[in-house]
Amino acid sequence: MTLRPYLTAFGLQWKIGLRYRIAVVAGLAAQMWFGAVTLMAYASVYHAAPDVQAPLSLRQAMTYTWIQQSLFTLLPLGCLPAIGDAAKTGAIVYDLLRPVDMWNWWLSASLARLLGNAIPRAVLLACVAGPLAMLVGLGAWSLAPPADLAAAGLSLISITLGALLSATIVMWWNILTARTLSPLGSYAVGTPLAVLLSGMLLPLPLYPDWIRPFLLAQPFAGITDIPIRIYLGTPIPGGVATGLGLQLFWLTALTLLGRLWMRQTVNRLEVQGA
Amino acid sequence: MTHTPRTLSALGLYRRMASASIVAQLRYPGTFAIQAIGNFVTTLLGFFGIWSLFRRFGSIAGWDIGTVAVLYGLVNVAFAVAETLGRGFEVFGGEYVRTGSFDRLLLRPRSTLLLLLGHELRLRPIGRFLQGAFVLIAGLWLAPHVQWSAVLVLPLAIAGGAAMFLGVLIGQAALCFITVEGLEVVNVLTYGGVEAGQYPLTMFGRWLRRFITFVLPLAAVCYYPALFSLNHPDPLGMPIWIGALSPIAGFVFLGVMVLIWNRAVAGYVSSGS
Repeated sequence: MTLRPYLTAFGLQWKIGLRYRIAVVAGLAAQMWFGAVTLMAYASVYHAAPDVQAPLSLRQAMTYTWIQQSLFTLLPLGCLPAIGDAAKTGAIVYDLLRPVDMWNWWLSASLARLLGNAIPRAVLLACVAGPLAMLVGLGAWSLAPPADLAAAGLSLISITLGALLSATIVMWWNILTARTLSPLGSYAVGTPLAVLLSGMLLPLPLYPDWIRPFLLAQPFAGITDIPIRIYLGTPIPGGVATGLGLQLFWLTALTLLGRLWMRQTVNRLEVQGA
Repeated sequence: MTHTPRTLSALGLYRRMASASIVAQLRYPGTFAIQAIGNFVTTLLGFFGIWSLFRRFGSIAGWDIGTVAVLYGLVNVAFAVAETLGRGFEVFGGEYVRTGSFDRLLLRPRSTLLLLLGHELRLRPIGRFLQGAFVLIAGLWLAPHVQWSAVLVLPLAIAGGAAMFLGVLIGQAALCFITVEGLEVVNVLTYGGVEAGQYPLTMFGRWLRRFITFVLPLAAVCYYPALFSLNHPDPLGMPIWIGALSPIAGFVFLGVMVLIWNRAVAGYVSSGS
């Protein structure tokens, strides 16, 4: 088995992600706006209720929001656009004919797409929300540094797992797209699920207490929520090991079940046009 | 029997384009249903986030959930109406300017605004609309001092808000004459406007308050009419009756954007087709 075709698929999508420089700057402006609105809302909520013991301090909630905003394009919002187009036109048969493992082929492309979109944006926003905000005197609103050196290292490992997990969930959207022959369904289902369950809408630790264990245990928490908790040093029940364990568990489970589903889908795939 | 050639009135023409668009969308009932439900669920989840903040902190910076629900409902319903009508402006850069097909619209003896309004009457935002209306009614039911005059002021606020968001979409389209492709930054004013409009004005810093009062009249179509309807004094010191009149600012904003649009069209140079 050779790795080269998968690296090629990765490289291609990675370059597509880096292509749109203006989109990156436009995205930055949008993320700054949403970040600012959310931060001001949290600040006034926290200040109005100083006695409430929240699971995140205000500073932590702000840092959580900045990291979430910067990693927005890492979320599995829908299928890989190239696969959506291929499903509509029927070009998906070419993928079926390739002498490669289709799961790995699509997975490397999906991962590259996520990373190519997310990394430039994340670095840019981290610079603006971190050091730059400090310099202009907005230190209280800025992105806080990681809790300590160990937290920094562990969160880096955790976010790598998170990216893999996100690409695996994108694979599920890809299969759904191949099945329904339209990318629309995957976006209709994927976007609300990802936005809510990853903690993009509201940090997962701030939801009502009774629902928090469920929110931590579902797969979307492994994409950004668990890495951010490790970064902030906020306690996870059972420690960092639970966090990483949950990520590994979902990665394995979704890969095994996903491969099974893919085999079943490919075997009975009916393609239009071509 | 002979037919004399007749031209349709603007309204008649729009009605035809709109019904053609609706028929086209209902051709795929399954897709439509999934999208509308997705839209409903996404926006409902948005409110679940705010509700969770209430559960944890007791209030949102001293505001009761009824008031916040009214704000949330108002801004979402208004935006849903604008989204339904203004699809043609949203896709204007990519589908009309870049391809050069705007030239064809200019050849037709009708206002370009009317033709673009007729591009599509999008049904999908019905999810946001219903959900916003639902939260709005729940908010009115929960809020303690609802005024009877709300029956008049809230529809005016929704119309003013829809006009304002439509104005943003028209301004966004006018910008495409310069940028060719649509710029996603403008989403800051549409989706970002919805995000900012659903919180009380007092929660924001001064620069943002000024921006959403004087540049984009978001507070005028959302915050002040809500305060008036709920008989809630303004912590920032504005007299309460202002909310009954302020939604007019949304129409003024739309008027300004239409003027800008007409100037931009007059200076249009085709990208060639």
